[in-house]
Amino acid sequence: MTAAPLNPNVFKSDLKPIWCPGCGDYGVVQAIYRALSAVGRPPHEIAFISGIGCSSRIPGYTTAYGFNSVHGRALPIAQGVKLANPDLLVLVAGGDGDGFSIGGGHVAHAIRRNMDLTYIVMDNQVYGLTKGQLSPTSPRGLKTVTSMYGSLEQPINPLLQVLSFGAGFVAQGTPADMAGLAAIIEEGLRYPGFAFINVQSPCVTYGEEEQQLRAHKTRMKTLASLGHDPKDYLKALEWSTHYGRELYTGVFYKNPEPPPSYDALVRERQKELSKGALPRERILDLFKKG
Amino acid sequence: MATRGIDFATLTIKDALDLALLIEEEARDRYQELAEQLEAHHTPEAAGFFRKMVKVEEIHRSELEKRRVERFPKEPRGVTRAMIFDVEAPEYDQARADMTVRAALEAAMTSEKKAHEFFVQALPRLKDAEVKELFLELGAEELEHQKWVQLELDRAPASGDARFDDSDEPVAH
Repeated sequence: MTAAPLNPNVFKSDLKPIWCPGCGDYGVVQAIYRALSAVGRPPHEIAFISGIGCSSRIPGYTTAYGFNSVHGRALPIAQGVKLANPDLLVLVAGGDGDGFSIGGGHVAHAIRRNMDLTYIVMDNQVYGLTKGQLSPTSPRGLKTVTSMYGSLEQPINPLLQVLSFGAGFVAQGTPADMAGLAAIIEEGLRYPGFAFINVQSPCVTYGEEEQQLRAHKTRMKTLASLGHDPKDYLKALEWSTHYGRELYTGVFYKNPEPPPSYDALVRERQKELSKGALPRERILDLFKKG
Repeated sequence: MATRGIDFATLTIKDALDLALLIEEEARDRYQELAEQLEAHHTPEAAGFFRKMVKVEEIHRSELEKRRVERFPKEPRGVTRAMIFDVEAPEYDQARADMTVRAALEAAMTSEKKAHEFFVQALPRLKDAEVKELFLELGAEELEHQKWVQLELDRAPASGDARFDDSDEPVAH
């Protein structure tokens, strides 16, 4: 990934986004264009897989190969894509409901397999596409159409969860800081293993006023300015416990010695096994003989 | 508003001209996007103003491009669009599905102020006298643009910002 930067507009498709004006996802897709341009891989070398939801429309707004797939199943599909063609740069995107409720079971396994994927979750704390129901990251007390008197549930903490599952790269950003967001997405794309990026991307229609980008600008604190060392796993866990109360942005954790990714191990094993493999014609003969 | 990877101390006049036209290009493209968003959400009045801004920013961009080509016809760019973030472009957060023309004008005013701030704040870091002169000129132009937007604001209906009014729930279509 040492190619020369490309023009960010190379990654912008002709499809016009139909998110609500003011939606945080507009900034996220711009940050993705910038990060991809810095990485320098052309669109035909990139696959972008998503689930279902407002944010899952994002692959269509890029010129990369895209698959707006099944609710909660973006990660298994992305892993299949990466295994089928390990040369592709694979991005995965979805919302907090897609990733941590409907597809919640897949997160742990994608992380323990450690495939070289970058998973971007646009966390808006509601199910926006279906008109604002409670989502797994909705704060306790949030009043929605499915919680008229306020939610009684404790929200999931995505940062703490992925750190405890062993993700090698964990970061958080907000479109209120476009330069910072583009930088962490770029860093995630360059990380050789499973990278998780939680983006606080507010829902302008059903989200709370204090969750909007204007509020982010005054609330956010960069981890770098707080002296955090992303190599410090235990400290990363500690910072992540503030999720939902404080808005910390930047890289929480980056494994300084990334283990080989699953796809790299598969390649290695294929190389090893191919030494004793039969020629393709002989294999076909075995099938024909029954 | 932010930049990334620009060394103002070593900025040449060629790169400064390119940077300025990229800033106008980013603003033009953003106004275009906002106009499309609002048209899709049946807010034609504010969309119409953003369409006007597309033309204005394109005029500024093409003027700068003309100067650049006259001066440096063949030399490649040393700066890229990836180095600038919302310098003169209104931020996405400024838009609302039900925004009034006044709110759209206010968004444009905020953007013109940001652009002026950018050129003024860069001045102490610039070393090249010609680049300094260009930034002073561009900063002054942004002040002129603010005056124009203010005139438009003075003429705009005195309605409140619709985004704070009670409105019907958005309807999927």
